[in-house]
Amino acid sequence: MTSEAGTHAAKAEGGTRFRRVLGRPETPALAFLILLVVAFSVLSDTFLSVTNLESILISVAVLGVIALAVNQVVLCGEIDISTGSMLGLCAVAGGAVATSVGGFVLPLLAAVAVGALCGAINGTLVTLGRIPSIIVTLGMLYALRGVILLVTGGTWITALPNDSRVLGMGNVLGLSVPVMILLGLFLVMEVVGRHSTWGRNVYAVGGNRRAARFAGLPTDRVRFLAFVLVGVFVGVASMIYMGRAGSVQTNTGTGLELQVVAAVVIGGTSISGGRGSSLASLTGAILIGVILNGLVLVGVPGIWQQAVLGALILLAVTTDVVRRRLLGDAA
Amino acid sequence: MSAATGALKRLRFSRELVLLGILIALVIVMSLLSPLFFTLGNLLNTSRYFVEVGLMALGMTLIIITGGIDLSVGSNLALVSVAIGFTFAAGLPLPLAILFGLVVGVAAGFFNSVFITFLELHPLVVTLGTFALFQGLAYGLTGAQAVSNFPPWFAYFGQAYLLGAVPGQLIIFVAAIVIVWLILSRTSFGRYVYAIGNNEEAARFSGVPIRRVKVAIYSGIGLLVAIAAVIYTSRVSTARGDVGLGLELDVISAVVLGGASIYGGSGTIAGTVLGVVIIAILRNGLLLAGVPSTWQLFILGVLLLVAVFLNEFFRRSEE
Repeated sequence: MTSEAGTHAAKAEGGTRFRRVLGRPETPALAFLILLVVAFSVLSDTFLSVTNLESILISVAVLGVIALAVNQVVLCGEIDISTGSMLGLCAVAGGAVATSVGGFVLPLLAAVAVGALCGAINGTLVTLGRIPSIIVTLGMLYALRGVILLVTGGTWITALPNDSRVLGMGNVLGLSVPVMILLGLFLVMEVVGRHSTWGRNVYAVGGNRRAARFAGLPTDRVRFLAFVLVGVFVGVASMIYMGRAGSVQTNTGTGLELQVVAAVVIGGTSISGGRGSSLASLTGAILIGVILNGLVLVGVPGIWQQAVLGALILLAVTTDVVRRRLLGDAA
Repeated sequence: MSAATGALKRLRFSRELVLLGILIALVIVMSLLSPLFFTLGNLLNTSRYFVEVGLMALGMTLIIITGGIDLSVGSNLALVSVAIGFTFAAGLPLPLAILFGLVVGVAAGFFNSVFITFLELHPLVVTLGTFALFQGLAYGLTGAQAVSNFPPWFAYFGQAYLLGAVPGQLIIFVAAIVIVWLILSRTSFGRYVYAIGNNEEAARFSGVPIRRVKVAIYSGIGLLVAIAAVIYTSRVSTARGDVGLGLELDVISAVVLGGASIYGGSGTIAGTVLGVVIIAILRNGLLLAGVPSTWQLFILGVLLLVAVFLNEFFRRSEE
């Protein structure tokens, strides 16, 4: 509900307005992002250039697109850690279609279909099977990686035709396609989250599932659709990945699942559900991209990336606690 | 009708018996698939590979019973491993280096517990952060280098045989099982662990020292991870920053397969040990039977899902 707070703040006096802004889930991450952009701009001459900023957005497109969908699952009070293997499987499906028929429409459809199917399996097991989502998606993380190895026999998909790589490499009106997809899907999710019935139900189910059920909301369907959405977005992301990489390896997406959850949480969406926004997950993904990019430009060796990412997650969630205590746990 | 529900009731009270049945069935199938499988030598050697996961799973059982989770165990193992290897390479006598490693492991677990108890953060988020942090530190501090010139006696922890054919680490594992089992089932601390998992609020009002218990179990798993790290480092004779990758998922799978509920409140040491052994036998048996490792991942994933589904199914029929 905090995501709507801004709209009522127009006439409020300064102090309340400040509290409202502070109360928004993505505020700490956004502030931190601005701080970092300023710091890196001062430390490195090349950081604040259009090319570099665009390359950061391109580099987080895959992560960001998946984070936007996983954000909805987390808002429902569930979690999805199967996205790494799912991305691999979608890329394999898309890659196989791309090498046989070419173009980008059919491969995209194939990847999205495979993703949606995986998401539907996750959703069914969580809702009908009543298995905790962390276990379902952990099992799927293993099982889907196994499926990838089974269908590919361990070989890479190479020699992808160029017209199949448009979603990862293309440029339309001077803006790169991955960035357009990321920002486009972000806008869609913001609208869905604010104005669609399902989007509002997600907050209700995550905020208090029992209350949502008693209020007559279809809690199972809401959660099921969130898992399917993850599959669909992973399918789209896999085409961006494939376009950028130019080949599909069997280890595609390994370890991505935790980065996605990290992006969502760093952005400010609460892991216990009900609180957060699409802007939060986008901010989290970009924050990760800015840090990895900035560290390279400042000259920090690549081997420190993991440690910095970890420290960042802890810093972000600690900031969130401090903020909530400042607001008296109200937000 | 009543006979059927009666049978079901008896089944639910012996989840461990079901697991034992699965284990025996598995052993029979594997023996048929490969003549090498059911030999004392092979069975004992298999234990070399599951002791590390097993030690961590013991600690993870307590954490999952309280309704928590620890994703950082694999990374902590890497951190302890390089802490031992690199302080040794820097000139510290090996016994002191091992001691230092144990301290690092406990400190890492304590670090987790501080965030979880005093900041009241969700364990999933905290240990996701330290998962990356510990791994990153192990990587960064060592410059992605490896140390492997350990003195011959260090091999004792991970490669020695006792009484002819028993791997040394198996004895450490058995001792750890007994100790953790005693703590969980015979002490008030163990009752606190279950109480927190069943209803943390109620436990707080009943005077359970929740913070102290949580600090103890997260630090405790740090110690178990550190012991596993010593065994691991000794077994492969190498300390490197990227060891232990993905181990956390093996550990959690074993505990959940063993019947612990991820929602907290239930789980036993016997179940966990059976879970660890079943996964190890499955991996070893499939390997000996010549099944490609690709199938192993798939089977492991499906097995985990089926086990948890059955578990939750029985749990619901109990309610």
